[in-house]
Amino acid sequence: MITAYALTRSGPKPPADVEELRTYLQAALEVEHLTIPVYMTGMYTIKPGTNRYAHDAIRSVVLEEMLHLTLAANLLNAVGGTPNVDNPRFVAGYPAQLPFSDPSLPKIPLQHFSPQALDTFMLIERPRSFVPSKPGQTGWTSIGQFYDLIRQGLIDLEEQQRRDHRDRGAASPTIFTGPPERQVGPEDFYNSGGEVFAVTDLKSALLAVEVISDQGEGVADTIWDSDDTLFGEERQVAHYFRFKEIRVGRRYGRHDLPRTEPSGPLIDVTWDDAYPIDGAAKVRDYPEGSQVRRQAQHFNQRYAYLLTLLQLAFTGHPGVMGDAVPVMLEMRDLSERLYRNPYPDPHLAELDLHAGPTFELVEEYFDAAHTEAAETIRARRTATTEEYTP
Amino acid sequence: MTVTTTGSAVNGRRYDVIIVGSGWAGSLVARHLGKQGWQVLVLEAGNGGTDTWAGYQDTVDTFSGAVIKVPNAAYRRNAAAPFPDVLDLSPTADPPGYTTTGHFVQTGPLPYGTDYIRALGGAAMHWLGAVPRMHPEDYATRDRYRYGRNWPVSAAELERHVREAELLIGSAGDATAQWGLGVVPDPDYEYPMEEIPWSHQDWIFQDRLDGKTVRDALAGVDYALKVYGLPQGRNSTPNPLFDGGYRPRGTVGRPNFGERCVGNSSCTPICPVQAKSSPLRLQQDFTDSVHLATRCVVSRVLPGRGNTVRGVEFREYGDPATPVSTPYTAEADIVVLAAHAIENAVLLLASEMANSSGYVGCHLMDHPTMLAWARMPQGVPVGPFRGPGHTTGLECFRFGDGRGKRAPFRIEIGNWGWGWATGAPLSNVGAMLGLGGDAKGEIKKEGVFGPELRNRLGDEINRQVQLQIAVEQHADPANRVTIDPRRHRDGVGNPKPILHYDLDKRVRDGVFAARKVSQKIFAALGVEKDFTHHGPGPDGVAPVGYFKHQAEPGGEALDLAYHGAGHGAGTHIMGSSAGSSVVDSYQRTHDHPNLFAVGCGSMPSIGTSNPTLTMAALALRSAEKIHRDLAELHQPVTLATEGTR
Repeated sequence: MITAYALTRSGPKPPADVEELRTYLQAALEVEHLTIPVYMTGMYTIKPGTNRYAHDAIRSVVLEEMLHLTLAANLLNAVGGTPNVDNPRFVAGYPAQLPFSDPSLPKIPLQHFSPQALDTFMLIERPRSFVPSKPGQTGWTSIGQFYDLIRQGLIDLEEQQRRDHRDRGAASPTIFTGPPERQVGPEDFYNSGGEVFAVTDLKSALLAVEVISDQGEGVADTIWDSDDTLFGEERQVAHYFRFKEIRVGRRYGRHDLPRTEPSGPLIDVTWDDAYPIDGAAKVRDYPEGSQVRRQAQHFNQRYAYLLTLLQLAFTGHPGVMGDAVPVMLEMRDLSERLYRNPYPDPHLAELDLHAGPTFELVEEYFDAAHTEAAETIRARRTATTEEYTP
Repeated sequence: MTVTTTGSAVNGRRYDVIIVGSGWAGSLVARHLGKQGWQVLVLEAGNGGTDTWAGYQDTVDTFSGAVIKVPNAAYRRNAAAPFPDVLDLSPTADPPGYTTTGHFVQTGPLPYGTDYIRALGGAAMHWLGAVPRMHPEDYATRDRYRYGRNWPVSAAELERHVREAELLIGSAGDATAQWGLGVVPDPDYEYPMEEIPWSHQDWIFQDRLDGKTVRDALAGVDYALKVYGLPQGRNSTPNPLFDGGYRPRGTVGRPNFGERCVGNSSCTPICPVQAKSSPLRLQQDFTDSVHLATRCVVSRVLPGRGNTVRGVEFREYGDPATPVSTPYTAEADIVVLAAHAIENAVLLLASEMANSSGYVGCHLMDHPTMLAWARMPQGVPVGPFRGPGHTTGLECFRFGDGRGKRAPFRIEIGNWGWGWATGAPLSNVGAMLGLGGDAKGEIKKEGVFGPELRNRLGDEINRQVQLQIAVEQHADPANRVTIDPRRHRDGVGNPKPILHYDLDKRVRDGVFAARKVSQKIFAALGVEKDFTHHGPGPDGVAPVGYFKHQAEPGGEALDLAYHGAGHGAGTHIMGSSAGSSVVDSYQRTHDHPNLFAVGCGSMPSIGTSNPTLTMAALALRSAEKIHRDLAELHQPVTLATEGTR
């Protein structure tokens, strides 16, 4: 999160040059990822088989955040940058300050499935039109504002590059100079929460920004996202409103507006069917030598491995996305295994708190992950016999 | 968008077409005719609901909770539209044989071990998703090898429809390899999606088998082994070379959600992420002119003027737990029977229609499937129970001269260990725990638990390999479906299917050769031990489908057994002559110009490929024909009047 926080400190302004645009896009990767451990915690603390609607709705949002992460990587690659997701500085420590937002907002903790967690989720996805405007405010107000600046930067910098090429003999007529083979396309990631597409020019770049911001906040003051118009899919309410439905326990009806409460059919939400956790727990809080501690460390190692595979997928090996999917499923199983355990401290266990993943990533995990990922790539086999030597 | 309706709402109404059944065949025909603007009524006997997300998840739960994971484990029993289950059959000791309960009455020397479902989407709701093509020679075994029956239509004529079926089903495969095999005629053809990745085990088989030769002594032929990928109706990576690109279809009943195959390993009966294709996807494409009613069991085709048909009589029920139902009728210009092959036959027999040849119900087929299972040596784990049921196979025994001597067969390289043969992995857990006790009721001493149990399970299960060998069964009029409404009726009063089934010598020879060949393959593979055993167990009872067979006089006699493959076919086979077949090459009954019977029941042979793809191609061909017939019916008729000269 180091890039995002640095940018947050320097205040809202459009990127001045392509180098700065790349920094913004690296920050976008960090921002999109920031939400994933938060939503994963909310989702996997649901006791398996219960709260189906809520589980599936949160899962659909997680899938879309993964889509956004990938689109942000495509954007960064398209403008000649290099995504950087496989190091401890990419990941926020929780509770995390929400970047590009009012600094007075509460920090984002890891929370089990609960009304409080859903309030947090809604805070993260809050549409710009819901942010109360303070007179004379000049600072950051929302992530939507951040994406607006990226959008503006893309348009301005592309225009400027075109002029420089025409008038000043700049070599390239476009800022989209990144190697096309680095783009992750629908053949490597598809069909859940919209579709990944290659970013090769201004048009596709603006579409990518639109997908990222509309799925979260909704289109122009409606509760709907734009997947139906962009991808020919069924209409679906945007993230904020999907979370609101769970929080209220009712679905939106067809005549509901962003500012009205959902008035549709009831959703069966049972807040008690969740493993309560201490979101502030760290690995060091679990007793040394205990199974829980080992498992928590193991989870973090595997999470580092997942990020390492994503790094490979974003830097010229898009097919590695296929190797990352089973590791994502592993995250589910490892999470559930941890959440089932009472918190090792008997006093906290007395309060019915449970152990859980901490998402603390350290350098040495990534070292080991790099070795394993290299092995995975080496051992990769395809059905074409020529590429395979036993 | 599917317009759902009810039986009572359509009572007495008239449509352009009535389609009986909502499986692959019925859904393909309905989709096609709806797009042409015809008013179509689809009547499904079974329950609906799986077209919603919650309904589908409920089916996944039913499967998860089922003690025995048979193909129908995800679907509840239905008293109004009963269907068979593989658990209906039990072996008997003395004499060795079988007994059966449930939907089928069976009278043959050997059991018909194949089931189906009556539900929205039909038996396709529990199919594996295998879509290999038939070989051109499969269409003409009589001409080429002097057995079975020829098709009135060739592979070349069907090619266009096969391609369309591959697109609509959403198929993943390696077209170049299939072209090399001889089943894809165009070297430049591409599947919509790239081949489903091979399992670890597939690569081990390829390493150890490719290029080796095994002799089938019965056929007198040496076969060079080569592992081929299996084309599958399962979401994988979209093929960038596919003409026009392809976007995989997502889940039904939930927006923006869909995944490629991630190896959940429960394809039969149900894919929890809906990567496996099903007719529910096609039903999403239905236009508003297609109306679909579930829980409507068609009991009879109604006769019309002359030799035409007028419509159907059906019974609508509310609660699948009871057969209580109400009779209604609906009428149409054309009636299409698209139920399972066995149900289509029952319906034609009960309606006393289309049977001037006497062949309705005859030629019942399946792929009798022999299992062979072995364990790899220690240190050679194959990683079973991951991925689809099978992703590769050995294809060489399917074609060529060996067919003149014995039935051909296709060898599936199973990915699910000894699951089918012994009920692994649960059976391994039970055995290692020492469950069941000894003969005196004492706990078995050799039981293990804790880390030792885990280690042994990890070691032994990890080395299980299984070959599933599907043998071609040709059309034999003696294998047949009949009805006896006076004695055998189901809850709503419809006649139950009475099956008379057997394997003739050519098929038994095929099973025999398959067993011999499997031993040699296991040897070439370097297995630790071949565990295959088809004879009587320690209790003296042989498994269902057991027979002893001697292929040559004075030769070796083998204990053999087969399972049903779920590939019910025949029963209203197509031919060019009305005297020796039930339907023509468009699946129109010879006897009634506006009555079609579509599905696997029309196939005069099923080769050694899973029949769905070919059946789907036939359905698409029929849909085109039905559209032309309907257009013809709507042309103004010019009558010659008096005075016209």
